[in-house]
Amino acid sequence: MGSGGAHRGAGERAAAVSAAVAGDRPLAVEARGLVKRFGAHRGLDGVDLAVPAGAFLSIFGPNGAGKTTLLRILALLSRPTRGSLSVLGADALEEPDALRARIGLISHRSMLYGDLTARENLEFFSSLYGGAPDRARIDELLRVVELDHRRTDCVRTFSRGMQQRLSIARALVNDPELVLLDEPYSGLDPHAAELFDQLIDRVRDGRTFIMVSHDLEKGFSLCTHALILARGRAVVCAERAGVDAAAFRDLYLATVGMGVA
Amino acid sequence: MGRPVAWAQYRALLAKDLRQELRTREMLTSMAVYALLVLTVYGAALSQVGDRVQTVSLAGGMLWALIVFTSLLGLNRSFSHETESGCLEGILLAPVDRAVVFAAKATSNLIFLLAVEALSVPLFFLFFLSGAELAATTPLIAVPLAVGTVGVAGVGTLLSTMTIDTRGRDVLLAILFIPVAFPLLYACVSATTTAFLGVEGTLGGFWTSCAVAGAYDVIMIAAAWGLYEFILDA
Repeated sequence: MGSGGAHRGAGERAAAVSAAVAGDRPLAVEARGLVKRFGAHRGLDGVDLAVPAGAFLSIFGPNGAGKTTLLRILALLSRPTRGSLSVLGADALEEPDALRARIGLISHRSMLYGDLTARENLEFFSSLYGGAPDRARIDELLRVVELDHRRTDCVRTFSRGMQQRLSIARALVNDPELVLLDEPYSGLDPHAAELFDQLIDRVRDGRTFIMVSHDLEKGFSLCTHALILARGRAVVCAERAGVDAAAFRDLYLATVGMGVA
Repeated sequence: MGRPVAWAQYRALLAKDLRQELRTREMLTSMAVYALLVLTVYGAALSQVGDRVQTVSLAGGMLWALIVFTSLLGLNRSFSHETESGCLEGILLAPVDRAVVFAAKATSNLIFLLAVEALSVPLFFLFFLSGAELAATTPLIAVPLAVGTVGVAGVGTLLSTMTIDTRGRDVLLAILFIPVAFPLLYACVSATTTAFLGVEGTLGGFWTSCAVAGAYDVIMIAAAWGLYEFILDA
């Protein structure tokens, strides 16, 4: 475990975080000193991050810790005020358009048009990645998320769980190497959440996943690496192997609850 | 971003807007109903003054008031589908030039505004100008209508994007739109009134007003094209 950082200084902690997550594997994401300001407030305050390719990183933290801000920067929906960011080997701040084709995002919002059918939604988003939509791939994705029988139904008629399954297919239309998940369990009942887990497992396929979650238990069970953010800083990082869930939970509570962050 | 890809993305974005509107008719129905209500209010107001007012001399201003307020209603709704489930973010995740997003949304808004004008302008003539002696130059109103609607769609799309995430965006759009579009509206009202009145020797003024409106369109749409990425990322 590369964490003991809860009781160290900020610079030391950041170095520990990078070292702990990176290991010797090639990196899918490498961030150095990411700062994001919103007026006088610092949403991110010098986050360093190194995520190996193929890893599943879960990011935890209390409300306002900067989790979604970090994820939006990684999704290239927002630019950091300061710092450097390399995604999939390319400079994300210099070449965002080239990288966007290699990134997918699943959010707690479905990003689907309610008045279009499941298939029309996937065809539309697929066509934004250049050229004609790949209908064979769209049919395959609908099969994977078990919605092929509802392909011609408007998304408005879908349950929240079905919409979230379809949003997995939407996020994969461009066959991304990096998949970002922003509170994907929000609003899902336990059964739908279980189905969602199974689907994520089915589409892992060597991709790198980075998930923001409030659900410590679920997030920790899925991940290969875990990161705790607080007050815009990466304060603890752990490789899941070698850490049990209870110990991580204690660490989270100690870090966040004792105001170490 | 290559041109063929940008063109394909533009067509996909536009087709999506048209398909959604044809399926729901939310924007067209609300604009058409609103236009009919405005025409009813005009009718009630003019019935009080009898022959004391020459409707033809007011027709340019009345017609543009109808178009502007109907357009504001439609423009306010034009992003409702995009924000409902975070769809705009879904679009921005893709490698789409933000100017292409603007072009597609402005085009769909233009099509919807023209569709509503195709209904409301003939009704305006039927209700208020059917008994009036119209000048031979009246058909020329098509020019300021076309030029003005392009500008309203372009500037309206830009401003409705700016107000997406604001509180009271309905009011805010109107507050921003009227001052920003004032030169365009003034030129269009002037040209339309001139065409309606058909006073000999004023046709030069008509074309000058149309040229001002056209120049406004070019400047504002170019500015919107350039600023759109900044506005979306803000």
